[in-house]
Amino acid sequence: MKKLPTLLASLLLAFGLASTDSAAAADQPAPIHFGAIGWESGALTTEILRLIVEHGYGYPTDTLPGSTVSMEVALARNDLQVIAEEWAGRSPAWVKAEQAGQVFALGDTVKNAEEGWWVPAYVIKGDPTRNLKPLAPDLRSVDDLKRYPQVFKDPEVPGKGRFLNSPSGWTSETVNSQKLKAYGLDGLYNNFRSGSGAALDAEIGSAIRRGQPVLFYYWSPTPLMGRYDLVRLEEPPFDASAWATLTDAANPTPKGSRSLPAKLSIGVSKAFRDAHPELVAVFEKVDLPIATLNKALARMSETRQPPREAALAFLRDNPTVWKAWLPAENAAKVEAGL
Amino acid sequence: MSGGFPEALQFSFAAWVNRLVDWLVLHYGDHLRSISDQLLQLLVGLENLLRLLPWWLLLLLVGLLAWHASRSLARALVLPLLLALIGMLGLWDKLLQTLALVLVSTGLCVLVGVPLGILLATRPLARRLVLPVLDVMQTLPAFVYLIPVLMLFGLGKVPAVFATLIYALPPLVRLTDLGLAQIDPSLLQAAHGLGASRWQRLRRIALPLALPSIMAGLNQSVMMALSMVVVASMIGARGLGEDVLAGIQTLNVGQGVEAGLAIVALAMVIDRISQAYGRTGR
Repeated sequence: MKKLPTLLASLLLAFGLASTDSAAAADQPAPIHFGAIGWESGALTTEILRLIVEHGYGYPTDTLPGSTVSMEVALARNDLQVIAEEWAGRSPAWVKAEQAGQVFALGDTVKNAEEGWWVPAYVIKGDPTRNLKPLAPDLRSVDDLKRYPQVFKDPEVPGKGRFLNSPSGWTSETVNSQKLKAYGLDGLYNNFRSGSGAALDAEIGSAIRRGQPVLFYYWSPTPLMGRYDLVRLEEPPFDASAWATLTDAANPTPKGSRSLPAKLSIGVSKAFRDAHPELVAVFEKVDLPIATLNKALARMSETRQPPREAALAFLRDNPTVWKAWLPAENAAKVEAGL
Repeated sequence: MSGGFPEALQFSFAAWVNRLVDWLVLHYGDHLRSISDQLLQLLVGLENLLRLLPWWLLLLLVGLLAWHASRSLARALVLPLLLALIGMLGLWDKLLQTLALVLVSTGLCVLVGVPLGILLATRPLARRLVLPVLDVMQTLPAFVYLIPVLMLFGLGKVPAVFATLIYALPPLVRLTDLGLAQIDPSLLQAAHGLGASRWQRLRRIALPLALPSIMAGLNQSVMMALSMVVVASMIGARGLGEDVLAGIQTLNVGQGVEAGLAIVALAMVIDRISQAYGRTGR
């Protein structure tokens, strides 16, 4: 019930009826607006940060929904103050705003976040309990894919395999298309863009449930990684000059390389950075161990737990992880609030 | 924040639906995929057929069709020009893919929609049962049924056809029903008196009289099918929608506008031709 005035105040704000210094906002500080991220790791991180900010520092918080790009644009205009999981440097909107000094990427929240090409482990090893034979027993690296297009066959283009790429418009879509060329697979595999993240997830989930072979682009931290036994195909080691040929869609002769290690940060607006140095210090120290995170995400997705509850459980179960981020006094307040 | 509603009265059937979908995927997934593969063959076949046509022949055919429908030289020139413009923007192949998708979904719409409309006009009970279903089909957000359909039928064109069918079917059913209901009953009685069978009355009198209304319904269905193109691209059906989506996701407004206008141009071509046929049927 306490939230009602906050909600009303933010509604008024949203409709432009009250400016920041009006009476409604004067009684209570304006809430800090977080971007309501739709994907699981982002949603969980958002709620973890909100719990810390609310309980540890007493600021009210709120979330506003939007697509990735619209949230980045909103952050640049300070309509949002925090995006809890920002793949900084990936989107043109972000890069532009960062150069203009409107947004800042804080910290390195999930180390060893990675992206690449994966297959379910049963495709290589088989699964006697589900009566699945190993269809591609010698599949180790992307090179080996040349021998197995018929395993991953594409009903739309008979005779070719299907590589599930990310939706067109994502940076990774360009990289994967170039990688197909670099690994000499473009003649053997159909470059299938999945259209949206939800469609990609649904297709992979359905294939794994039915025990069918599937070859797909994916990334971590994600519930999928914690939930299923997946094998990442080996790629040549990371090489900066090869990487440049992969990110340039117009390059006719790309060279193979692992993807640039992903850096996940917390995106904040300039106004937030100026107003809340104490929170900036916390955000810079945030460090979520990837294995713990993948497991938490898998449980959240399997039991269909709301992110808020999953965040509470995460903070309760892993106090050593987050206590290192903030001063003891504030950490005690967070703990008392759990 | 559940508001003031008493908690004792709240319930959720989400878990039940989730279990049902899981169960369906596990037990019928492979089966349904083989059905969807057959529909896919039809789509891919039509697409390849369109690709076999040289571009100028397709434009010529559209021009001839426009002239045949409207007997207007201006239309027969302007409509192919609109399609040529899409080609000049470098979107020819995507245009063909979208066209194949729209043609197959509209064909299925006619196969299902017209008989359903006739049923509604002749059986009051069917009307009472089907009308609420049509309301649901038109208002339920597409992604709600898209994701389960996708898990059952696979990614790409087939779920896109299903989604388009669900969204674009209602206007055709409603307008077929309306067209038949507006026929003067004395005409049908006269035919009955002259010894015409049910089928003859329907085929020779009712359907021709209702044709303008049915064509208006078909026209609406095609328009709605085209507006689903972007949603279809979100589940991996390639075509013009893909460029709109990519344009939005990368803030490339120009690319989005180009592909968006291409969809509008295609819609205008189909709209003008099908409307002209609706009028000549009068």
